[in-house]
Order: sequence, then C-alpha cells, then structure tokens
Amino acid sequence: MTLAATDPEDITAVTEEGTATAAPPARAHWFRRLLRDRAAALALFTLTLIILGALFAPLLAPFDPASNSRSIMTPPAWSSMGEPQHLLGTDGQGRDILSRLLYGTRLTLLIGFVAVGIGGAIGSLIGLLSAFYARLDPWVMRGVDVLLSFPAILLGLALVAVMGQGITPVIIALAVSSVPDCARIARGIAVGVMKQEFIEAGRAVGLSDLALFNRYLLRNCISSIMIFISLRFGQVVLIGATLSFLGLGARPPAAELGMMASQGREFLLFAPHIAVIPSVLIFVIVLSANVAGDALRDVLDPRLQA
Amino acid sequence: MIPLNLTPVSARLRLGLAALATAVALPAAAQELTIIREIDSNHYDAPRTAALAGSEVLFMMADTVVGLAEDMKTIEPLLAESWTVSDDGLTYTFKIRGDVTFCDGKKMTSEDVAYSLNRWLDPETKSPVRWRMGDVKSITAPDATTVVYELNAPHSELLYQLAQSFGSIVDKDTVEKLGKDFGVTGFNGTGPFCWESWTPRDKLVLTRHEDYHWGPANYENRGPAQVEKITWQVVPEAATRTVALMTGQGQVSPYVPFIGVDKLRKAPMVELAESDEAFWTNYIGFKIDKDGVDDPRVRQAINWAVDQAAMAEDLFFGEVQPAYSYVSKGALDYDPKVEPLLQKYDPEKAAQLLDEAGWKLNADGKREKDGKLLQPVVYTFTGSWQQVVESVQAYLLKVGIDMQIQPFDATVAWGKLATQEFDMFTMGFPYVSAGDALNLYFRSSNMPSPNRMNWNDPETDKLLYEGSTAVSDEVRAKDYGVVQEKVTEAAVWLPIYHKPMQIAYSNKLKPFTAHNIYGAGLYKGLQLGYK
Repeated sequence: MTLAATDPEDITAVTEEGTATAAPPARAHWFRRLLRDRAAALALFTLTLIILGALFAPLLAPFDPASNSRSIMTPPAWSSMGEPQHLLGTDGQGRDILSRLLYGTRLTLLIGFVAVGIGGAIGSLIGLLSAFYARLDPWVMRGVDVLLSFPAILLGLALVAVMGQGITPVIIALAVSSVPDCARIARGIAVGVMKQEFIEAGRAVGLSDLALFNRYLLRNCISSIMIFISLRFGQVVLIGATLSFLGLGARPPAAELGMMASQGREFLLFAPHIAVIPSVLIFVIVLSANVAGDALRDVLDPRLQA
Repeated sequence: MIPLNLTPVSARLRLGLAALATAVALPAAAQELTIIREIDSNHYDAPRTAALAGSEVLFMMADTVVGLAEDMKTIEPLLAESWTVSDDGLTYTFKIRGDVTFCDGKKMTSEDVAYSLNRWLDPETKSPVRWRMGDVKSITAPDATTVVYELNAPHSELLYQLAQSFGSIVDKDTVEKLGKDFGVTGFNGTGPFCWESWTPRDKLVLTRHEDYHWGPANYENRGPAQVEKITWQVVPEAATRTVALMTGQGQVSPYVPFIGVDKLRKAPMVELAESDEAFWTNYIGFKIDKDGVDDPRVRQAINWAVDQAAMAEDLFFGEVQPAYSYVSKGALDYDPKVEPLLQKYDPEKAAQLLDEAGWKLNADGKREKDGKLLQPVVYTFTGSWQQVVESVQAYLLKVGIDMQIQPFDATVAWGKLATQEFDMFTMGFPYVSAGDALNLYFRSSNMPSPNRMNWNDPETDKLLYEGSTAVSDEVRAKDYGVVQEKVTEAAVWLPIYHKPMQIAYSNKLKPFTAHNIYGAGLYKGLQLGYK
C-alpha cells in the first residue's frame, strides 16, 4: 500500500526505496506496456486523432462553422441525397457539420481539460492538506462530503441562472463537482503515504512542513492522482455535454458537441444525422478517455501489480 | 401581456421519453378527445392571464359577451343577443340572453356579466390586459337582461376586445368561494365545456356542458358539444407531439412543429386545418436608446441584412409568411402605404448604411467604430426562438455585425425582458387589428415593458389615443396607418415572420376551420366531433 519516492536527490527516499513494495522496475517502459494493451492503444490513438483534429480545426474545417447556407439538413455525403462538399451533411441552419464538429470538439475538450485541471488541482490540494494536517481532516472532509452531495447539473443550472449562459459557468460547475472526488482520492492516497516511516524520518531531520509536503507527500501521490484525474476527464466531458445539451453551455454561434446534439434533437425524426453524429463523437471521446485512463492505471498504479 | 409560447424549464428536462409516457393516454373512447399542446398556463383565471395556453382553454370553459367569427372581422352575438352603441361611441348597451346557465346549473344573469367585467377592470385584479377595456366609466346591470358599458372616451375596438378570453363571464359565487384558487382548483363558466380536473404541466380535463345551446353563429353546431370529454395534454417535445398525433395518442394539436407539418399533411390519418391569414407575428425589437442600435441606420441595416424569405423557407419549411411589416396584411387597419418602406433582403444596402453610420469593417471582417465593435446583445427565450436568432446572427455576421445571443429560460426571461440591459429582444404576439399591436407596444406609458423598445414619441402617443378613441373606421385606420409608417421607417423592429394558424387533427374527426382569435385556433371547440 505504498508508493515509491521519486526524488533521486532525497536520501531518505532512496533509503526507503529498498523497502517500498512497489518500485516498478519496468517503470521506464510503462508506455510500451500500455501500447501492448490493444484496446488502450486504440483508445490512445483515437484520442490523439481527435485532439489533433480539434487543435488544427481552423486548418481542417472546410467551412466557417458559424456560416449558414441555403442547403439545410443535407444528409452525409455518402447517402444518395448528400452533397460532396458537405462530408457529414449540414444542420438545420445549413451549417457544415464536419466543420462544426471540429470546432465543437475543440470547445468540448477545452471545457473538459480546464474543468478537470482546476477541479483536480484544488481537490488534490485539499485532500493532501487534509491528510498532512490530521487535525484539519475531519472538518475538511465533512465539507467535502457536503460538496459531494451536490449534483453537477443542478450546480450548473444555478450558476447559469446567475451568470447567464456561457462556458464559464459550465467550467465552474464541472470544476467544483470534480473537487470532492479528487479530494477524497488524494486524501486516501496521502493518508497511506503519511504513515510511512520516511515521513517521520523527514520530520526527524527537521525538514520544514513545506519541504515535507512537497518532496515527500506530493511527489509520492502525484502519479496516482493523475490517473484518477485522467479517468475523471471522461465523466467531465460527458456532464459538460449534458449541460450544453440542456442549453446551458456554449453560446451560439460557437459549436459544442452537446449543444449540436441538442439542436439536432428537433429534427430527429427527419434528419437524424444532425443529432447522431455529435452524439457518437461524444461517446467515442468518453469511451476512449475511460479505456485509456483504465489502462494507464493498470500500468502505473503499483498497487495493481502482482 | 404576451402569450407565453414557451417551454418551461422542467418541461425541457422532461425529455422525449417522459413526455411520450405521459402522452400515452388510454385510447380515446369514441366521445373523448385528446388535444396535444406544448405548454400549460400558470392558472386559468381569465383577466389575470395573458398566456395563450390560458386563453385556449378559457374559450372552451367560458363565454364572452360577444363572439368573433373566423374572418376575424365579424362580431357575433354570444351571451349578448343584441347591442346598441350610442352615437358618441361612449355607451354600449347589451341585451343579455335569459336562457344561459353555468356549468353548475345556476342561471346566468346580467349581474354575472357586470361582475366579471368589473372584476377585469378592478385594479386589485392586476389584469395585465386591462388597457384592452378602454377608458371605462362604469359597467352596470340595470335589469336582469341588460348590461350598460359606459366609457369616458370612445374605444372603437371595444367589441373585438370583449370577444377575447379576458372578458370571460364567470360565476360570482364560485369566484368568491375559491378566492385565489379560482381557475386553479375549480372554475364555473357558461362555456360548452366544464372544468373537471387540472394537473399542472400535465393535463387539464374538461367535460361537456349538457345544457349548452348558445354557441356563436359561425358554428354549425351551436351546442351542446359533440364530444363528451376533452383532455388538454401537455407534450413539451416537438418531435414527440408529431409522433403522438401520427400514432393516435392524441387527436388534435395546434402545436405542430413546422418541420412536421408537411409530413402530417401527407400522412393518411392526419388532416390539417390551416388559415390563409396570419394573426401572430414574431419579431426582434431594438432598445432604441442603447449605444449602437440608437442609430436608425444601424437598425435599418440589420433589417436589410436579414433574409426573412429564406428563413421562412429553411427554418419554417415554408409554413410561415416572411414578415417585413409589423402586422400582417390580413389584420384590421393594416396600412398598405408601408409597403414601399419595408426593408427587404439587400446585404449591400446594409453594408452601405453601416459604412455611412461610421461602422467600418476591421481586419477580422467585423464592424468597428472608435475602437468599439458592433456587438448588440439580444435577449431571447430558450427553445424554438434560439434557432431563429442563430439564423439572424449568421446573416448579421455576413455584414460584420457580431450579435451576441443571451437565451433565458421562460422562468427568468420575462423578468430579464423588463430590464434595460439588452440591445435587442425577441417577442411574438397575437392580434386582431393593427391597433392591438400598436397600442400595446408603442405607447410611451408602456415603457419599459411591453414597450421594451423605449419608443417615446409624443406624436405616436397622440395618434394612438386618437385612433383608439375614434368613432369612425376611417379616422382610426388613418391614425394607425401613420404610426405604422413611422415605426417602419425608424426600424424599431426586425419583423421575422407572420404565423398562420395550423391545427393537425385525426381524420376520424369531422373537418373544421382554424380560428385565429388570440392564437387559440380551436376557439370554442364546438366543431370538434367524430365522423
């Protein structure tokens, strides 16, 4: 139930390394091991492709995502009614779905990354501090429990009511909802680390709290926390898309995958591709993120290694 | 003030399946009918609601002093079998029928008529549509069959206004007994249908008024109604409503999504009642004292930049009329002189006007003046309006205007629309006449809501007053005509579309005509019956 210290300059840690149960010898090759898992490799490949598509949206998109046209609800190019210039067809306003998809993915991923980054950082810090200062622990964790019982969607609704529609309230809602989960996980890991003798040794040699926290605790916990955050990413993207679907997210004419699905809902009977295409992409992103996160945990988390 | 043609938040959350589940009513027995609609009203107390969802049920549960025929011009006797108007236009004397009973069997008298109208007038009722009554001196019932309506100034549209659901005649005793719950837990009117039960945001059930025989003359069947029971079922999702009709879960719906209309027209089991004329207009208004849109050239440019004809075709599948004028041609006192003033689609003209107004294109293709971008903020409702404003946004982007959309759920939108925060806003309204629209929106006394434009013009006020108190049709038409020309030239609105009434109904029902009164296309429901 312990993690290897990663600071090579740290004498105590090096001494501890010998007794730590999980100093993975193959750590340097974790990436190779990851790729050996075919599902994970595929997921990573898909995610990379999607991220690249999003990053280079302005170069890849054949049309301006906000520009409407008179050819509305054209089905994808491969169907008999399709038009070759609109590969994935057009939406109810005559906008090119492929272009909107590329830009929409950008926004969806951005919301996910920023929210999970902020929420993860704050949550982890709370969890670590709570473990580090045991006196704070009961108070902080009860507060976290309260936060945990507050659904992200409700929080999003409330924030949008106050701040108006936009991606900022959505990011805040998602970040806030990520805080308690991350705090609990970080605390769990950190409590284990705090019980280790090297912490006591660190105190004994008179290290300051800051040094102890930074060098001994944080560095021993960070990889496990990162794995959790990577798993959390998929959920955040999904909730973010849900909020946008409810009309709380991005403001038009910006495209966002959840919002695109929501706009297509009206035409579901008549032009299902408008809603289906962004929904499928959300599904692929979330699935890939989860599979990749799972695999990453299998590879990196020493606790899971026999 | 304006009918709430909106989807409430909880309704939005209840997605298709949930709605479908609630719509799966028992298959209607031969004498039962389910009407599918989009939203519910907050209550059914006539003078206190301006919601269309309220009116459409009130017309069935209660009668008005006079009725209105489908042509939207002919006033029909209803509770009043005849009436006289004094030469000065100040005194209306109604002869009330003596054979009318309420749903509970009690006889209706002129007392009830005077009571109901005085209740509408009473400031304590806080009716949002009190202005429709004119400048009332008194409403009295000198004997059991006479009601005298006295005005301080003539009100040329009085009879049209008395035909609206706000003037529904109800039983005094029930009103007093139920107090604030009148129209919530119960109702007692003289209409062809009687209140049975109401589950807010789900359904309202009406049963036939067996004694009813005093329906307006525009109906072949003047009573009693042909079906025993009517259920008004709320189905918030547009696509689900279409499916519900096609699968027979409902027999009638005035809330067919435009995209479904053509499909329903072709569907073998569904018929469509359509009116040629439109008496409902949707527009985007400008707050004319806000930076940017305070310049009439900018507002005109926005009018020139938007292609309503293409929108009517693409967003509404050709089911609506593109609007350039503030009321449709079919409306009483529509002024044909506005036609040369209408700002139809011409993006070059828009660009030229913006250039003249000093808004130059910058390197990003956006309009800029003194380092400020032209970014008017539009407040709108979530739901079907969003599609419209997004389309407008795309058209404006093409001439360099970067319109910002701020949608609100209906629960907060009305409050937000009464503020001075926005530059543009979206709104729709039903009307009978040009005067209906103009008096509501352009009187300076109606600022900040419903005169959300802050159109403050003494001459308009004078003309509107003269028009509404005119005793002759010519004077009224002329006054209202001048106002229409004024506001069209000043481009206070961007009219979007005029919406004709469309009602889809099962082919098991007898064919009928759609009414346009206040957007309540089924009006009294006497025409609804199985073949």
